[in-house]
Amino acid sequence: MQIVGMGVVFNRGRGVQTLEKALEEGWVPPTDSTYSVAEDTLKDKSVLKEMRRADKFSKMACFAAYDAFVDSGLGNEVKSSLGIILATAFGPHVTTFRFLDDILDYGDTNVSPTVFSHSVHNAAASYIALVLGARGPTLTVTQFAHSFHQALIIAQSWLRERRCEYILVGNADQCGVVMEYICRQKLRLAEDGKIKPFLFSQRPCAVPGEGSAFFLVTEGKTEKCYCSVLAQTVGTQDMYLLDSDGMVGDERCYLKMAKGGIPVNSYTPIFGSMLTQSSFSCAAAALMLKNQRHYASPVQDNPFGANICRLTEEKETESVACVRYNCGIERSQITLKR
Amino acid sequence: MQSGNVVISGMGVISACGKNISETRDTFAAGRRNGSETTLFETMLKYPVFEVKGFSGGDGKFMRTLELAFVTVRQALEDSGLEDKLNDFRIGVCLGTTVASQLNDIDFYNEYKNTGSASLCSVERYLKGNLAEAVSKKIGVSGLACTVVNACSSGTDAIGVGLSWLRADLCDIVICGGADELNRVPLAGFGSLGVVSDSLCKPFDKDRSGLNLGEGAGVIIIEKEGICRKRGKKTELFLRGYGLAADAYHLTTPRPNGSGLETALARAMDEAGITPSQVAFVNAHGTATPDNDLVEGKVLARVFGAGLKFLSTKGYSGHTLGAAGGIEAVFTILGLCGGWIPQSAGFEKPDDTIGISPVTQKTTISGQYAISTSLAFGGNNSAIVIGKE
Repeated sequence: MQIVGMGVVFNRGRGVQTLEKALEEGWVPPTDSTYSVAEDTLKDKSVLKEMRRADKFSKMACFAAYDAFVDSGLGNEVKSSLGIILATAFGPHVTTFRFLDDILDYGDTNVSPTVFSHSVHNAAASYIALVLGARGPTLTVTQFAHSFHQALIIAQSWLRERRCEYILVGNADQCGVVMEYICRQKLRLAEDGKIKPFLFSQRPCAVPGEGSAFFLVTEGKTEKCYCSVLAQTVGTQDMYLLDSDGMVGDERCYLKMAKGGIPVNSYTPIFGSMLTQSSFSCAAAALMLKNQRHYASPVQDNPFGANICRLTEEKETESVACVRYNCGIERSQITLKR
Repeated sequence: MQSGNVVISGMGVISACGKNISETRDTFAAGRRNGSETTLFETMLKYPVFEVKGFSGGDGKFMRTLELAFVTVRQALEDSGLEDKLNDFRIGVCLGTTVASQLNDIDFYNEYKNTGSASLCSVERYLKGNLAEAVSKKIGVSGLACTVVNACSSGTDAIGVGLSWLRADLCDIVICGGADELNRVPLAGFGSLGVVSDSLCKPFDKDRSGLNLGEGAGVIIIEKEGICRKRGKKTELFLRGYGLAADAYHLTTPRPNGSGLETALARAMDEAGITPSQVAFVNAHGTATPDNDLVEGKVLARVFGAGLKFLSTKGYSGHTLGAAGGIEAVFTILGLCGGWIPQSAGFEKPDDTIGISPVTQKTTISGQYAISTSLAFGGNNSAIVIGKE
């Protein structure tokens, strides 16, 4: 299937151009302890008019999906056959905790129905359908580290079954104070805010992040086509994009890819640590293939001498594989081809 | 991309209707309703609920939702004759849930809120508790695993995803359905929405006043017909079609004209290659909320005509949220195989604004196809077609 539109919401802002700029600029330290999405990023009233009461989780997902649709250049005529698949590791847990605040502070009989309805995992996908008027199938899935991979597999199946002609497939995850606390207890957090993806350490450092990336995919090519994309588990490509971001502990498993001499890269220091990081890697890879341009690894600490991408430069690339391991050392791979 | 037929080779169920297929069938035959006040947690809310009585929920290592799922998966594997053959096939697990996907442990959060720190025991349990992944690990299979979190249509959509996996040749066999425990958080949430009844629910009744929450799990095993025949398992049941469509209307209210549900039904029947007249009965979502039953009932009348035999089984099981689609798929199979469906529990007075009424007594059915529908928060509409040939 082909990626024909993209939208991203992350720490540095919103949109494909912002992503390109971030990849060109490289690493900059986060303004606080996490790579959070600024409230100003989510203030576009043309999108918000249909979702004024939405929480941050839904807004991030909606803005990314909306931008992916606009980026594709497709018109309203496709909306009757436009499906949505959202992948998330933890869903709108910040809103869930707000709802628990209600229960604890006011009792079971005095909780907010608005907060409750936004605490449901599929609220974000429903808002996307509402904002875009998409009447195709809508699905939300969660599989922790492999959530986005699973979403892509379903997207591929749906297109082959002709369940719909176009699909917005993407991720969303949020990092609130409770999640940051959990990360701090369970993980080793980088005090300088710098993820070092090529240390391949048994105890890597993480810096929690949040955001959303969406892709408009379809079987055929359109005028604006980035590349093809395929969810699989194995396969050798021209370059590996590693999701090593400190989120699942031991990262020695990534080392074997770095040892093969094939170029490796990782943009996790730009986005922050997220279990659904793969979608951001996928967005970076799509730009790399469309622009035929390598973007330098934002953090280049490289004790194993891996063949990392040191410079930003024009360079021909046919294929890129985004690789993620979970804590059970199970691998998922998303392969993008020119 | 539709590569051959998909059969249903096994099933398992646990709910307030019973802890297995046999107990469930007896409950339906007797028209028994096992609703009562909740005993699982402390709450000021005195709504009737449908708990699985006498189910301990295990030793606390896993969430109750997972324990419910484990029980039904074991039943389904035994029913399908796959227990000792799991390593011979590419087996996927796709399950729907709502509660098990949420990090909503009140004790953990209360401790954190009060002290700024908290024991991570419940967080660890949550992180080990992704439903599909935990079931895969429990039974030792390594195929695709995916947890669907599409609110109240999660179970039906998980079955639909399983069907897609088989058609795409990503698996030989898929364990699919849903599981959800009765939990204080959704009880308070649904209560706040004003959609919970303070008496036993009355789906499609003129005087319906809301839903009752329930809990349980329902799992079916679907596989490629060729694989099933080759391993010598006989079955007359097929998963014939699946449809899913969005309302794109409102977060908690269905689109008034029901066009999303109508699209989902049309897609499911189209995939099955059948017309509405070939449908023996519909196991409706039928939550007993004023909005759901009005919209759903009108669509059923429009699509199938006033002579349709249909029921809501939520009068027996309560609304089991992410489990509902799995549980009701099993209930639908029981009706299709047994040649009868129970009375639609709770229904007494026809609602003229709906224009169609569910069955009021144990009803004989004949025909090869039945449909189970699920509607969800956010305007998801799903339907599956089950065939008996």
